[in-house]
Amino acid sequence: MPIFENNLKLIYMANSIIDMLDLPPEWKKILPNLWKYLVIIAMIVFFWISFFQVGPEEVGVITRFGKYVREVEPGLNFKMPLVESIVRVPVERQQKEEFGFRTLSAGVQSKFTKSGTTDESLMLTGDLNLADVEWVVQYRVDDPYSFLFKVRDPVGSLRDISEAAMRKIVGNRTVNEVLTVGRTEVATQVFEEIQEVSNEYSLGIKIEQVVLQDVNPPDPVKDAFNAVNQAQQEKETLINQAKSEYNKVIPKASGQAEETIQKAEGYATQRVNNAMGEATRFSALYNEYVKAPEVTKRRIYLETMNSAIPKLGHKIITDEKGNNVLPLLQMQLKGQ
Amino acid sequence: MCYPSFRCNLKDNNNTKELMSQKLIIQLVLIITAIILIVQSTYIVKETEQVVITQFGKPIGEAKVTPGLKLKMPFVQKTNYFEKRYLAWDGDPNQVPTKDKKFIFVDCYARWQIVDPLQFFKRLTNERGAQSRLDDILDGETRDYIANHNLEEIVRTSNRVPIPSGSIGEEVGDTLMNIMVGREKIQDMILESANNKVKDLGIALLDFRVKRINYVEDVRTQVYERMKSERYRIADKFRAEGQGEASKINGEKERDLKTIQSVAFRQAEEIMGKADARATAIYAGAYNQSAASRNLYSFVKSMETFEQTFDSTTTVILSTKSELYKYLINLE
Repeated sequence: MPIFENNLKLIYMANSIIDMLDLPPEWKKILPNLWKYLVIIAMIVFFWISFFQVGPEEVGVITRFGKYVREVEPGLNFKMPLVESIVRVPVERQQKEEFGFRTLSAGVQSKFTKSGTTDESLMLTGDLNLADVEWVVQYRVDDPYSFLFKVRDPVGSLRDISEAAMRKIVGNRTVNEVLTVGRTEVATQVFEEIQEVSNEYSLGIKIEQVVLQDVNPPDPVKDAFNAVNQAQQEKETLINQAKSEYNKVIPKASGQAEETIQKAEGYATQRVNNAMGEATRFSALYNEYVKAPEVTKRRIYLETMNSAIPKLGHKIITDEKGNNVLPLLQMQLKGQ
Repeated sequence: MCYPSFRCNLKDNNNTKELMSQKLIIQLVLIITAIILIVQSTYIVKETEQVVITQFGKPIGEAKVTPGLKLKMPFVQKTNYFEKRYLAWDGDPNQVPTKDKKFIFVDCYARWQIVDPLQFFKRLTNERGAQSRLDDILDGETRDYIANHNLEEIVRTSNRVPIPSGSIGEEVGDTLMNIMVGREKIQDMILESANNKVKDLGIALLDFRVKRINYVEDVRTQVYERMKSERYRIADKFRAEGQGEASKINGEKERDLKTIQSVAFRQAEEIMGKADARATAIYAGAYNQSAASRNLYSFVKSMETFEQTFDSTTTVILSTKSELYKYLINLE
């Protein structure tokens, strides 16, 4: 039994060492049993370094003497002690990188800062203007092998790729496109570009989403951009005011025109009817008049006088000899 | 070898004890030596590494690129570890003038790899050496290529037609200048040219990209001023357009108002004129039948006029010769 013999040898050696040392007698009593304690401790250590836990969002990558051998799933796992080592990679966790701003504290009311990130977000557009673009890249590790062993600092690479991709896409667009109509397109194209280059670099990363945050003109020109919007509003206002004035005046004038015409129509009707009435009356009178002109004429004259003279203020009747009193009378009348 | 039993060990005399401890020391030395030997003759190559073995400084055999536990000659052979993964090169922002004399900062990055560790070891010794050589080569290439192209060529990638962005875009002009080369091609050219230069250094460049381009501070201020003036110009134009449009509507309002009023006046006059004409015809038809009717008309009209014009302020001097009072003198 070589193992047993070995054990004996070890115990013997241990005892010899104890004998050689000048120890207090109490210690000498415990020490012969030392090997038992050592075995127990060794077993604990063995289990401690052989079994390990992998979290629900992770996989464990096992290397033996530095060589990749296998991946293990979440839960309790075993590895060979000393020769195998494990690295945990959070493959299920969605991670994100921020560009042009940093989240200081996430929560219901997240706090952000922009300090020191201007260089990240300020970029040239295709028409050689400047735009300030903030964005977020959300990603997941989908190939732990590549993530760990193909590229040093894969996250740093992802940042470099993202910045280059965003500038490439923005650099091919006008500043107006980037600020307004082209936002979604920019995000999609950047997404595709980052994924493509990540694959080329074997980052082992899957891009989940590229989200454009604030896309603004740079601070010094913001006011000018706002002025344009304001002027646009002013323009609309001026036009609307003029239109409203038009709408107030013209329908009223149309109504008044209609009124004038209707009044004219009324006048016309009245005029014609009056004429017809008078004509008919005259004709009737005339028909009778021709039968006895002299007497009719006289009758009308006298009747008219009969009704008209009583209304007069002064009636002066003279004969032809009395004509010389007329000037006197005139003076008297004026003096009244 | 024979070992004394446990029992007799307890009864050992001093001589035996001496002998045993000597043996023990020898055994310990042997074990330690064995451990040192094992450590010296094996080495581990990790997934991320590659190893060049040197014997008294002279490289031996091919580089070890596969991971795992390997053997070497103890003491005389030494391991030199090199990175196998893609490595980063990040350039300093370089101030470079473009062909059209615009001063810009260009910040580039590259990814590279040690493809021939032996050559790498000979030429560059370590990563720091490599980074410094890459600085020289890539900065130089970047400078050359950027100085040979207009700014647009580095910013833009292709001649795409931009999407019109509505009224503001119409003012600024939603157009992009045509380019000849473009960013991608310039990057590719720099990469190819640099790869030729690093070929015998045992490294290869995987990719080279322009990370950031920006105007230098002075130029940036000028660009801001240009952008501002451009926007203010648009703003002024909008305002003027608004005023113009309003004036136009105002003018239309005046025109329509006058048209409506005058048309109504004309129509009314026409209507009244026609009615007057008709009335006149009717009157004429009645009064103009004969000499007698004309006579009667003037007589009747005079009578009506008397009746209407006489009131209490009127003074009439009548002669007894008049028709009315002729009977006042005599009954003749």
